[in-house]
Amino acid sequence: MSEIKVSVDNLTKSFGDLLVLDRISFSVNRGEFLCIVGPTGCGKTTFLNSLTKILEADSGTIRIDGEEVDPKKHNLAYILQEYSTLPWLNVEENIAYGLKIKGTDPKTIKERVDEAVEMVNMQEFRKFYPKELSASMLQRVVIARAFSTQPDLLLMDEPYGQLDLNLKYKLEDELLKLWEKTKTTVIFITHNIEEAVYLSDRILVLTNKPTHVKTELINELPRPRKVADKEFVSLRNKVTDLIRWW
Amino acid sequence: MGAVIKTKKTQTVLMGTLGILVFLAVWQIAVLVTRFGTIFPTPFEVLSGMAKAVVEPIGKTTLLGHVGISLSRVLVGYILSSIAGALVGLVMGASKLGKAVLNPIFNIIKPIPGIAWIPLAILWFGTGNTTIYFIIFVGGFAQMVMNTMAGAENVSQELIGVARVLGLKKNRIFLTIVLPSCVPYIFSGLQVSLSTSWMAVLAAEMITATSGCGWLILSGMQSGNMVNNVMGMISIGIVGLVLASFMRIMERRLCSWKERGQ
Repeated sequence: MSEIKVSVDNLTKSFGDLLVLDRISFSVNRGEFLCIVGPTGCGKTTFLNSLTKILEADSGTIRIDGEEVDPKKHNLAYILQEYSTLPWLNVEENIAYGLKIKGTDPKTIKERVDEAVEMVNMQEFRKFYPKELSASMLQRVVIARAFSTQPDLLLMDEPYGQLDLNLKYKLEDELLKLWEKTKTTVIFITHNIEEAVYLSDRILVLTNKPTHVKTELINELPRPRKVADKEFVSLRNKVTDLIRWW
Repeated sequence: MGAVIKTKKTQTVLMGTLGILVFLAVWQIAVLVTRFGTIFPTPFEVLSGMAKAVVEPIGKTTLLGHVGISLSRVLVGYILSSIAGALVGLVMGASKLGKAVLNPIFNIIKPIPGIAWIPLAILWFGTGNTTIYFIIFVGGFAQMVMNTMAGAENVSQELIGVARVLGLKKNRIFLTIVLPSCVPYIFSGLQVSLSTSWMAVLAAEMITATSGCGWLILSGMQSGNMVNNVMGMISIGIVGLVLASFMRIMERRLCSWKERGQ
């Protein structure tokens, strides 16, 4: 089986006369944690929405395991910056929602929900509704929902952008543990360079609009990473210089 | 905690009872010591009139019969207007084409109050129950459309995006995301529409009926029997209170997810 899980070739998207994505090409290896960084407003979310077919790209191909991407066929999961829990479902119903969409049998749903609830440490809050949960808990529920479907590809669009620093660090560590356990292929979009260096196997650097891939950096820093280490700071500065537009 | 809640509830009931007693006392005094008494009955006269009217008919039927007739008329018109209003609201809120086609005509019909349709309704349907159902229907319809449409338009695009990425088809997105998102808005519409339905039934019964609470009020005025008049009003108040309380209980049950953490 090929090591390449996702391949994107010449992905192009414009809104009227405004060219946003300009022939973006890259690939993601199976089980890899890829972070995508770029200047603010460069079209990162448009890029992810085109990748997931929420937006129809003008041209270019996106393949998963060699097949044109199709959310109805491929097992994708998407975590946004906004809390995307369904307010009328409680924690365990929210986690089961993705599995139900995939047509999973009830016995497996129960097993996976139990496992996911435990993974994100929400056992005591299974019957709670989103209105009763804190910001970090809401994002944990969304993460549990995404991982419980055992996705071919997990897409994350600045998922911790609205959280304070302490919570962000905590959830980043939780995410890494889940990823190491499940070896899910992850594309993680962020404007936070430190976050990208902390999480990634590889960093894709995007340019300003019209956006294309400027370069990519392999991140071989040993885990667990420490943000104050000399190598960490050096890589962070390198990425900062690459996206500097001023 | 439980004891505190119980004490608070007892206090609320006591204060409410006290409020009613004060109101009845003021009414009694006003009737006894002012000229108001020459045209208006005392609370005791009204209450004893009500007790008598439960067994003795006024016109075609007893007081409970009139209440039952008004209630059944409201329910027919209200249920029809709620179903039709919710469906039209969903079409207008969830489909751009639906809104483009229906919005202009809806915006013209919306400000016309239900009672303005009475002459036309009598011409179309005569003076029977169909006219009353129609008046109630148009009275509640616009409220249901507006509220449901607002619900369908305010569905979170993030939730729809997540569902699409998870591979959910359009019709199931409507059933599992759009429809549940609209439920609190639909309940707001149901509550407002219920009040307008009561107003509409009274207006319609005063003009085209020979039974019901509206007729009771009007016949009381025409025959100078203010006891009948006030009985009709009090009956409407009690039934309206019961229906509104029922709607609130239903809302708490069906929209608990909206209320719990607030």
